Amino acid sequence: MNVFRWLVFTVFVCAGPAHSHNNELHENTAPIVLAPGYEALSYKAPVPGTYELPPIQPAANGAVLRSSGDDAQLHSLFENKIVVLSFIYRACDDINGCPLATFVMQQLKSELEQNEQLAEKVKLVSLSFDPANDTPEEMRKYRDSFGNGAVDWEFITTRSDEQLFPILEEYQQPISKVSREEGGTTINHMLRVFLIDSRRFVRNIYSVSLLHTDTLLSDIKTLVAENQQDAQIARRNTPSINYAESREGYANGVYRSQSTSLEVNGIQMNLLEEASGGALGLPKLQSLAHYTSEQVQLGRKLFFDRRLSHNNTISCAMCHVPQQGFTSNELSTAVGMEGRTVRRNTPTLFNVAYYDHFFHDARETSLENQIWLPLLAHNEMANPSVGQVLKKVAAIPEYREGLQTIYGSAKPSMQQIGELFAAYQSTLISANSRFDQWKFGGKQDALSSLEKQGYELFSTKAGCIACHTIEPDHALFTDQRVHNTGVGFQRAHNNNNKPRPVTLAPGVVLNIDPSVYAAAAEQPQPDTGYYEITLDPDDRWKYRTPTLRNVSITAPYMHDGSLSSLTDVVEFYNQGGIDNPTHSSLIQPLGLDNNEVSALVAFLMSLTGDNVSHLIADAIAAPIGDTRASN
Amino acid sequence: MNQHFFHASKFIQRVRPFLIGKKILTSAMSAIAFALIALIPNAFADETCMSPYMAKIAGQEDYVYVWTLGAEGVGDEQDKLVTISVNPKADNYGEVIDSLSVGGRNEAHHSGFTDDRRFLWAAGLDSNKIFIFDVHTDPAKPTLSNTIEDFVSASGGVVGPHTTYALPGRMLVTGLSNNQDHGGRTGMVEYSNDGEYIKTHWMPTDDALNGATKSGQFADGFGYDVRALPRKNVLVTSSFTGWNNYMMNLGKLMGDGEAMKRFGNTVVIWDLHTRKPKKVLDVPGAPLELRCAWKKDNNYCFTTTALTSEIWLIYEDENQEWQAKSVATIGDPSKIPLPVDISISADDSRLWVNTWNDGSTRVFDISDEFAPKEIYSKKIGDQVNMLSQSWDGKRMYYTSSLLANWDKQGENTADLQYFKAFDVNEGQLEEQFAIDFIAEGLGYPHQMRFGAYALYQ
Repeated sequence: MNVFRWLVFTVFVCAGPAHSHNNELHENTAPIVLAPGYEALSYKAPVPGTYELPPIQPAANGAVLRSSGDDAQLHSLFENKIVVLSFIYRACDDINGCPLATFVMQQLKSELEQNEQLAEKVKLVSLSFDPANDTPEEMRKYRDSFGNGAVDWEFITTRSDEQLFPILEEYQQPISKVSREEGGTTINHMLRVFLIDSRRFVRNIYSVSLLHTDTLLSDIKTLVAENQQDAQIARRNTPSINYAESREGYANGVYRSQSTSLEVNGIQMNLLEEASGGALGLPKLQSLAHYTSEQVQLGRKLFFDRRLSHNNTISCAMCHVPQQGFTSNELSTAVGMEGRTVRRNTPTLFNVAYYDHFFHDARETSLENQIWLPLLAHNEMANPSVGQVLKKVAAIPEYREGLQTIYGSAKPSMQQIGELFAAYQSTLISANSRFDQWKFGGKQDALSSLEKQGYELFSTKAGCIACHTIEPDHALFTDQRVHNTGVGFQRAHNNNNKPRPVTLAPGVVLNIDPSVYAAAAEQPQPDTGYYEITLDPDDRWKYRTPTLRNVSITAPYMHDGSLSSLTDVVEFYNQGGIDNPTHSSLIQPLGLDNNEVSALVAFLMSLTGDNVSHLIADAIAAPIGDTRASN
Repeated sequence: MNQHFFHASKFIQRVRPFLIGKKILTSAMSAIAFALIALIPNAFADETCMSPYMAKIAGQEDYVYVWTLGAEGVGDEQDKLVTISVNPKADNYGEVIDSLSVGGRNEAHHSGFTDDRRFLWAAGLDSNKIFIFDVHTDPAKPTLSNTIEDFVSASGGVVGPHTTYALPGRMLVTGLSNNQDHGGRTGMVEYSNDGEYIKTHWMPTDDALNGATKSGQFADGFGYDVRALPRKNVLVTSSFTGWNNYMMNLGKLMGDGEAMKRFGNTVVIWDLHTRKPKKVLDVPGAPLELRCAWKKDNNYCFTTTALTSEIWLIYEDENQEWQAKSVATIGDPSKIPLPVDISISADDSRLWVNTWNDGSTRVFDISDEFAPKEIYSKKIGDQVNMLSQSWDGKRMYYTSSLLANWDKQGENTADLQYFKAFDVNEGQLEEQFAIDFIAEGLGYPHQMRFGAYALYQ
């Protein structure tokens, strides 16, 4: 049936006055514009089975009246088939409303009649909005006007508005009725046609602009294919681990993206067992013997739980990002709750249990105590008090259960929370790097000659080893002391008001005068380093020596994240750091040539532990803690 | 955009002789039709920017709902939906008539109606909560009907719900970030109108293009806005940046070389029906708002790049291939004008562009979409972000706030955090009234959506 004939037919069948029109409409002599469902599809219909139609909602049930006059439940009419359900009323003459739905279903019926196998899997149902006028008898006549055939198309109604309205509510089909002057009623509604699968889930909803026989048919075939094969398109199950994209060459425009998918599954490890086994290059960690696997697991859960911040938005892992070396590669200095400024770079947590002091300014002395500072800091996780954290944790069922098992009480103490965090972080041991295999494992070919040359420079001419210590049988790469390199001094004395290059897009760097955004910029926060702890002027701008293990994946560098590459770091020391009153005498100009700089960098790159990807995979497997679970 | 319905009024004229008759015309004049609203979804927009699946307001809007950020030291300090009376015939015209606080500061940002326009979904970029307001029971007094609190875990790790875009019976919510690193990789999350999670559509990345073609240098997996062109079976998405950056103080951000590398450089063309990405286009410099043309043969959308200050055209070429092209510069990029909200006129002839930093609104003549020309500009305030225009282009509303930590600080003036209503008279803006959101103890006003009794009668 062509569209014109269909229109005339519809007018005849509907035989009622038009629904209301908006008073904003103006007379216009332009031609009719019909809904796309009346025309050829303007694009190629999707290939059935190549895409997903995720369940949207359960298809609601309700009492209805068949055209035979029998009462029935809507679900019983579905007969475990794929159902196309439309809501119409006979008197509807909005050409792009009910007649469109009926036209498309008529077209669909014709298509299905060409494919009997498919036809028997499908049922069409048209349910009336107008029980007063669309009686079973009228619906039967209406159905008969579309002829019979292999396709089951049922026209149904309800006994009353009272019976109808709950169904409409469930299918979100609110209506309003307007009396017509000439008699009869216009029922205003939104056109929605529903595709329902054999398990009675709504799988697609079509509006005026989307209802078309071709796409409807593709969707039906997609559901059939799914039923036959029970095929769910598999979620990517790659245990491949995604390091953060470095965005190298971004400023000079040579950058090409190498982004990685977020849709990866992690692999949970027995962290305590792995860590207790030791790692070449690091001494046995005695404290591990104090922890149980249950403690490690509960600590891990706490570490990744967004609820541990006051407003439930950031977990520890949002700054100590596992895929970014348990630091943040994407920020020079961290950002806390509600975006508050943190003045220093996030330190890595690899091998953190070996430290005897914590934070860049060495202000804390135990891993168990350390956690309470970020938990309570206004510009980090911003919890209002120790008591509130304990109360919050105790109110979450999963924690209550775990705490009961471990400590015999569901109400944790401050010390116990510290212990749980420490238990997890103590298992983040990563060594057995290529350097370790060469130095402590006797594997001569584990390092290249360039890396070996770098090690020589590290230990001699460059003098790095003075602070980043290496012992005969192990290496922490830190002397656990504080030193002044000049980075802090320079930051404190920087003139922030000069125009400076800002990267706006790949290859787009403009010299920007800070005054253009000064109204939106906060003042930089002061930072005098270890002096803030001791109040001794000799300790101004001193910061703790960080370990160099895994340094290749923990950029950017220095306590303020001001250097973005290892080459920049080596060059910084090659210049002797930045002179200032409390500058470390250990830091002097080195006189390294370019090859020597390269060798040092190559050596530093060899310090990546062999289990990094396992620790990351374990982190990805950790559940997301958010607010629903606390309800 | 949705040409089948754009000309619906024309359609009615032709059909009348045999469908309707004169009598009906009379009854028609007295009623506002829900069905008609559905029939011609584009014909009465505010809102030249809304989903084509959206029911639309006829004529004069009665209310503007302003999704407002709570600010420390201002009133009750929490986010709220503020209702302003904007119908000049109303006794309370120009007044705040309702304020509904939701608890906490969520980084209130964008909002959007469901397709039946009965509910307004308003999202928080920080807390990841989506507040669903009932705006139909009493359009003058919205109520909070539901709050989605598990967006992050339900979606499998999407963070920063941004655009809430109506599809038939569903809402498509774009993300800005993720739970793995708070960076810019993200996805779009589909919900039923009831607020039930349906599916996450991840933005294409280099290792998971999911069938898309990487047409240039970038496939960053970032997200921001989404718009549909049903006639072309196309969804278009843009790309901004992750939680770390949008939550950070703007001054700190501009000084953080690492962070400045983490902005979006892509626009993605999707298959609307299958929700699969088809093509990743290079649009460097953080393309934000997307607005698609309305006319039948105008197969293009505009976006502006926040950092590089350009207008980009996303268009289908003569070979039915989607392309992206920079077509104009907005102001002086070295002054970081920061183009934010944009609005296209109903006749596709004008593109309004707000530049946040200089507080100006600019009008570009886009009669030739490949050569936009600035023809008008006006300073609206100390900063400006969102704008909403009535479908007839006769009224224009502005708000000031961009992001809590990007907004200008300092002395509060009436021009810092405001809502302003203008009439447009022969292309000129004439201010009708303004509300100082600080003085009124409300907060920082962000996105506006229109309400009207006519929709629900």
